Amino acid sequence: MKDKPSAQSAALSRDMKIENKHGMHARPAALFIKVASKFESDILIEKDGTKVSGKSIMGLLTLELYAGSVMKVHADGSDAEEALNAIEELVRNKFNED
Amino acid sequence: MSITVEKFVEEGRDPFSLEVVAGHEYLGRIIKEAALNRPGLALAGFFQHFAHLRVQVLGLAENAYLKSLTPDERGQRLHRLYQKKIPCVVLTRNRQPSSEILECAEAFKVPILKTPMITNRFINLATLLMENLTAPLVRYQGTMLEIMGIGVLMEGQAGIGKSETALALIERGHSLVSDDLTVLRKDSTGAIVGYADDMTRYHMEIRGLGIIHVPSLFGVASMRREMHLDLVVRLERFDPKKEYDRTGLNSETISILGADVPLLTIPVAAGRDIAHVVEVAALNQKLKQLGHDAAKELDEKLVRALERKRRM
Repeated sequence: MKDKPSAQSAALSRDMKIENKHGMHARPAALFIKVASKFESDILIEKDGTKVSGKSIMGLLTLELYAGSVMKVHADGSDAEEALNAIEELVRNKFNED
Repeated sequence: MSITVEKFVEEGRDPFSLEVVAGHEYLGRIIKEAALNRPGLALAGFFQHFAHLRVQVLGLAENAYLKSLTPDERGQRLHRLYQKKIPCVVLTRNRQPSSEILECAEAFKVPILKTPMITNRFINLATLLMENLTAPLVRYQGTMLEIMGIGVLMEGQAGIGKSETALALIERGHSLVSDDLTVLRKDSTGAIVGYADDMTRYHMEIRGLGIIHVPSLFGVASMRREMHLDLVVRLERFDPKKEYDRTGLNSETISILGADVPLLTIPVAAGRDIAHVVEVAALNQKLKQLGHDAAKELDEKLVRALERKRRM
């Protein structure tokens, strides 16, 4: 996937696979929004056509992101690329679980 | 922890009509063990494990036993008891001291007290009083309320709105324990009990109004004398850079007098109804004490559902 330079505002998206054993339950969701909230960009998570805010814990929990499922993370704003990188790292590290 | 006989008499005057019969000048003696003892065995001559550091209570049985002895024997037995350096003697049922007791009191410089109560009742109540007198205490900057059976202590910087929040909670029907300064005591079961300082009890200070008398304005139901502490709520000015717990899964505690008390940090932002949030925090704490942890239960439900989905 090609990302635009991060200095200016951009709308980017990236697919990420949930790899921790228990999936997106409350603790990973809390970590997710903690990371997402650090960025100015609007963050949206999409799965099976449903989009929720990446800064809303209740929204995130309704997506039923079990281990092995893939979500699309959208970031729109001046720090979209950094946001996606930070989120991807968290997801790849299995939310520091397992 | 130890107290003087004088303090014990002072505090026991109202509840037990405790008074000094003899030995006023020896009230400075120290009760090293804040408890009471009936020295029956010691009077009979058996001194092993004799609790000589405690207040010695002579009740009906001890008195009857002493009376059954010859005056010489009586004097000797009492002498041996007093030789153990006891802090004071209490006579129950308002009994007058015998001449031998009076002699010993003078000779060993030990005060004699009396109470009209019967021995058993006196010992029960005086034990509680002594525990309270010697319990570890701390004065805590915070406002305490009773919210539907839950004792909540609100802390936070001056001007964050503790008193205003307390006022709103009182208007919702909850009771004030203390405003701004709460005395916390650890009781014998290890629980922390909060109450107001005697001087400022029933009063609050509200910026712009000054000092108000709470029961005059809101009725006697708005005050509570003391309350066990279940929850500490820390009010903090909302800081967009700070991370707040969003799930309630990471329960924090604060150590007060060696006890771990649940702690919640609530960010205060303009327009947020803090009284309402504190009220719900108290209810949620009550639910947790009943064995229901909403955050934990939802998380477990989620983990189960995600596991099912994964296997499909």
